[in-house]
Amino acid sequence: MKVIEKSTLIGKRIAKLDAPEKAAGMTRYVHDLDLPGQLHARILRSTRVHARIKRIDTRRARALAGVHAVLTAADVPYQRPLGVGKDQLPLKGDKVRSLRDEIAAVAADTEAIAEAALALIDVEYEDLPTLTDPADALKPGAPVIHGETLASPAPHDALKPGEPGDAEAHRHNVAMTFDYAQGDLAAGEAESDVIVDDWFRLHYVTHCCMGVSGIIAEFDRSGNLTLHSNTQVPFLHKREFAEILGMDPGRIRIIQPPIGGGFGSKLDIYPFEPICVFLAKATRRPVKLVFSREEEFIASPTRQPVLLRLRSGAKKDGTLTFRDCETLHDNGAYTSWGATTPFVMMQTISSLYRVPHCKYHTTAVYTNNPYAGSFRGYGNLQATFAVEQQIDELAEKLGIDPLEMRLKNAQDPGEITPQGMHFQTCGLKECLRTAAEVSDYRARHAAALAAQHSPQRYKRGVGMASMLHVGGGAKIYPSDGCGTILKIDDFAHVTLITGASEIGQGSETVLAQLVCEELGIPLDTVSVVNNDTDITPWDVGVHASRTTFIGGNSAIGAARKAKAKVLAAAAKTTGIPEAELELRAGHIVRTATGEALVSLAKLLRSLHFSDKAELVMTTFYYEPPSKHQDKSFKGDVSAAYAWATQVVEVEVDTDTGVVRLLKVTGAHDVGRVLNRLGIEGQIEGGIVMGQGYAITEDLMVDGGVVRNPGFRDYKLVTAPEIPEMEVRFIETMDGEGPQGAKGVGEAPAICIAAATANAICNATGVRIRELPFTPEKVYRALHRAGVPAGPTGGD
Amino acid sequence: MAVEHYWAPTSLSDALEHLRGGDVTVLAGGTDLMPQTQAGRVSLERGLLNVRRVAELHRIERVDGAVRIGALCTITEIMRDPLVGEHFAMLADACDHFASDQLRNAATIGGNVCNASPAGDTLVPLLVLDAEAELASKPGARVERRRVPLADFFVGPGRTRRAPDELLCAIRLPLPPPGFVGRFFKFGTRPALDIAAISIGIGGVRDGRTLVQARVAYGAVAAVPLRARRTEAALEGAALDAATADGVAATARDEVRPIDDLRASAWYRKELVFNMTRRILHDVAEA
Amino acid sequence: MSLKREIGFLLNGVETHATVPVDLSALSMLRDLLGLTGTKYACGEGECGACTIVVDGVSTCSCLQFAVDCDGRTLTTIEGVAGDPLGAKIEQAFVDCGAVQCGFCTPGMVVQAKHFLETHPQPTRDEIKRGIEGNLCRCTGYVKIIDAIEAASRADR
Repeated sequence: MKVIEKSTLIGKRIAKLDAPEKAAGMTRYVHDLDLPGQLHARILRSTRVHARIKRIDTRRARALAGVHAVLTAADVPYQRPLGVGKDQLPLKGDKVRSLRDEIAAVAADTEAIAEAALALIDVEYEDLPTLTDPADALKPGAPVIHGETLASPAPHDALKPGEPGDAEAHRHNVAMTFDYAQGDLAAGEAESDVIVDDWFRLHYVTHCCMGVSGIIAEFDRSGNLTLHSNTQVPFLHKREFAEILGMDPGRIRIIQPPIGGGFGSKLDIYPFEPICVFLAKATRRPVKLVFSREEEFIASPTRQPVLLRLRSGAKKDGTLTFRDCETLHDNGAYTSWGATTPFVMMQTISSLYRVPHCKYHTTAVYTNNPYAGSFRGYGNLQATFAVEQQIDELAEKLGIDPLEMRLKNAQDPGEITPQGMHFQTCGLKECLRTAAEVSDYRARHAAALAAQHSPQRYKRGVGMASMLHVGGGAKIYPSDGCGTILKIDDFAHVTLITGASEIGQGSETVLAQLVCEELGIPLDTVSVVNNDTDITPWDVGVHASRTTFIGGNSAIGAARKAKAKVLAAAAKTTGIPEAELELRAGHIVRTATGEALVSLAKLLRSLHFSDKAELVMTTFYYEPPSKHQDKSFKGDVSAAYAWATQVVEVEVDTDTGVVRLLKVTGAHDVGRVLNRLGIEGQIEGGIVMGQGYAITEDLMVDGGVVRNPGFRDYKLVTAPEIPEMEVRFIETMDGEGPQGAKGVGEAPAICIAAATANAICNATGVRIRELPFTPEKVYRALHRAGVPAGPTGGD
Repeated sequence: MAVEHYWAPTSLSDALEHLRGGDVTVLAGGTDLMPQTQAGRVSLERGLLNVRRVAELHRIERVDGAVRIGALCTITEIMRDPLVGEHFAMLADACDHFASDQLRNAATIGGNVCNASPAGDTLVPLLVLDAEAELASKPGARVERRRVPLADFFVGPGRTRRAPDELLCAIRLPLPPPGFVGRFFKFGTRPALDIAAISIGIGGVRDGRTLVQARVAYGAVAAVPLRARRTEAALEGAALDAATADGVAATARDEVRPIDDLRASAWYRKELVFNMTRRILHDVAEA
Repeated sequence: MSLKREIGFLLNGVETHATVPVDLSALSMLRDLLGLTGTKYACGEGECGACTIVVDGVSTCSCLQFAVDCDGRTLTTIEGVAGDPLGAKIEQAFVDCGAVQCGFCTPGMVVQAKHFLETHPQPTRDEIKRGIEGNLCRCTGYVKIIDAIEAASRADR
């Protein structure tokens, strides 16, 4: 008798399915694809920050040999507004509002010819007064960025009572506002023994996907459009492209070649995408448009820059009493997802810790600056930066240990917060205790405090921060679901057709793994199809750390249906009741003994080639049980919530202001570890992205101009700079999660800046509320606070 | 202007003849030239002269009382060269802080010198080491050579005393006197892949508690890599104690003329110059 | 139109000829003229390492290398890395150690790793970090890449 033991793939270290191709350089990204007859496109962008376009002359460009089309707004009267705010046309005809603005586009035989043609386009501008400091946007007489062209006034166009600013400027320059309140702020203030009140300034950073933006558009002779696109949200984009182009969404097919990094950057439609379609339409040829790195820096979205005022109060015993948060978001020239980061920010303000009374307000204003999109963490890095610094400040004022302060106010499982989030599982306290213990936080914190005033060149300190983020999707669209089609062929090979997109994060591997776990088949018998809207079922897209959770539950649903079908058939064949059968290692086995009864392949063939010929193919659509928020932003928006605490140890060089990250200790409530290799990679990558945000990365926008559009002066973290990392997983086994897992993609990047700020303060006694902690900024802060450069005596 | 001629000669004489014709861009490692042309900051002249195959420019050799580093030697080759390691450790150190492995493997010392960036990584140690640029031209039938002290070679950002018909053949470094100590410091947040916000080179001969024949140079604090004569004077022969270090550092802070740019403000550069000069002098005293 | 030159070189062990504009980069030659798309463009100024290739035994950024200067030289690109046992070992280690996420930096990283291990057969982790300091990765945080290079250096040769 052949016996097959029960085994599991869950928690194992599983290599990514797409890794062999990628390691060999054989993966074809959009940059590597060339279609027969393809033309190459380039875009002419504004050279002015804010100006009226008086005249565009494309005659010389059109006359250049090898040029097939030159388009301006006048050539595409059918174009319609795009993006989250629907406040820009792909090609700008009347006015430019930022340096990225698209004025004309060329399709030519080669990229070089297209580039040469751009130089032959003459544009005459009439400069307008510029608005590049968001603080000026509401002042009387502020330049109006959108006044004339917006069909209807901005949605929140009324000046709120008590709000500063000029009504007219307000009406035109406010892109969005958000207000949230819980409890009674005045009561919270009244019961506070201590209150802190600070401004925080969060800077521009950008995604820096290693693969630059690109797209290929082609029409067939029936007018069907195929896009080879980098999007993270193909199904939403079908609809959006249709709207912009004025065509039937059913005629748009989006194929997603593997992409060179996403991180949220590909959640919105950007002008270059429809522009490429216009060119394909005009030339009746496939057209490919790929950015240069400089263009990527100038014309891609950024993380939302925020000016944030936070007031927090606590009682003598450390109990938090209230939070009052007010932010000014620099929207840039147009509205993309960055403006909507308050959705996430207010969750951290209201619910990371228990706070009875809370008020949150954001005004997002138009300026002539680059516009912000969504970026891993989605506002949470910004909110956490403020909240977690103030926890330390309150603790210090109250003479309470910062860890105790956090534990006292931390959420517990079962909590339903005033904002309506229901924490079915919550490992925050365990995260706090674990991170503190593994990093030896208390002892190090105390030692650094004691050494704060001793004259040393290098000062060390530790800082802690925690985070709350959605971990079970986020219901912000009509559906937050994902569809799966699963078929098993006659040889017991499975094709998993999923709406969930792979963007390098490893989703196809983890989905395959979940299917194998259900069906008891080896990983190398699964193929995943996940990149073609004509084939795959609907999914809302890769965002909100949702893919493993939502796509995973969907895949499991389809696999369970297939398994039930197989076991029912096996029961018939073997005469053993279904309940006593299981699938293991490609066989039907008797659960009790492990006895292999028949191979899965053989059973499938016997089903297929029978009188009632049948194939095992199943479909499943998973919709999480989360709720839309109501108009006051209350509701249980995610099916699960992820938690983490990170402790950062830094060394500050008082001679230079250089802050080195020595060690990051993370404790992450991930529900359950599915692919250990994959989850470690997500955490490590997130930590280093957080490090970049905290210390090295700074997109310098000055008067609307990006001054460092290249890797030479936009400093991504390099290998020698990474800290030692020690990560612990807290497995809370979420009841709703696939095999108990929760989303984790964004979590690791969120705490680093806040924890680093706390660590610098622990090391030097100086609290810096502005990012990034570049050497000069830190040096100046130390200098202002009178911390001397290190003595030359003994270090 | 479109390139009309491309030459890749194997002898210096041939290379110089092409250069004599004028309107020529010299190509060596290409690590500066390629991005400069791609970004449109530099346009190639009518003639593109690839000198990389001129073998005699690609040697490191000892010549009477000096070491001659061929202009085509790559940063990696210099960093690993035993002669350089033995006599000019601070140059090897600067090479180790140069860009990245890939760039060190391609970039040449001749290119770094001729590109004349105020922040060029090798330039500060070369100044401290009293380097000379060896230039060749061929105005007539014979190859003619001249030597220019590097301290006089730089005129402005990207500009040198090399005449259009001249080729930089080598950098000549006199062997340092016995007891010579040299220190190089490049300010950056990473070991490499960083353009210096400032760099410092200090060298001299230890004589008891003092430093004589003191030579001090700074990078990225002026339009050219700066040999700091006033700072040298303050350091020359003074007892290497804390008061001297502070005084010399203050002189240096006063002598440098940095600008505000996106990498650092002038104020911060001056602070770094002061703090790190002081620190290096302390280290030299302890050594 | 730029002046063109005919050049010949050994590419991944194969004698190869190309006619290249004299101002073309080796990166463009490989990708656009020769169809070897494994070498990636990501910055065009030598700051990211995604286009790393090996020329005459040393690694270099192909975006900075003049194609015309490849004449008579020996080039190895990612497509040729697995042709020798060390290269194959590195690629496998990248897969096994989870060093690949989006994969865009990976070819350059693998090529650089091979050059690095050829010059540093028994590296420490700190040496590995310095060895790949010119290669940017936005996904992994480098840890698993360092793991992979370390693993490849330990695997039996």
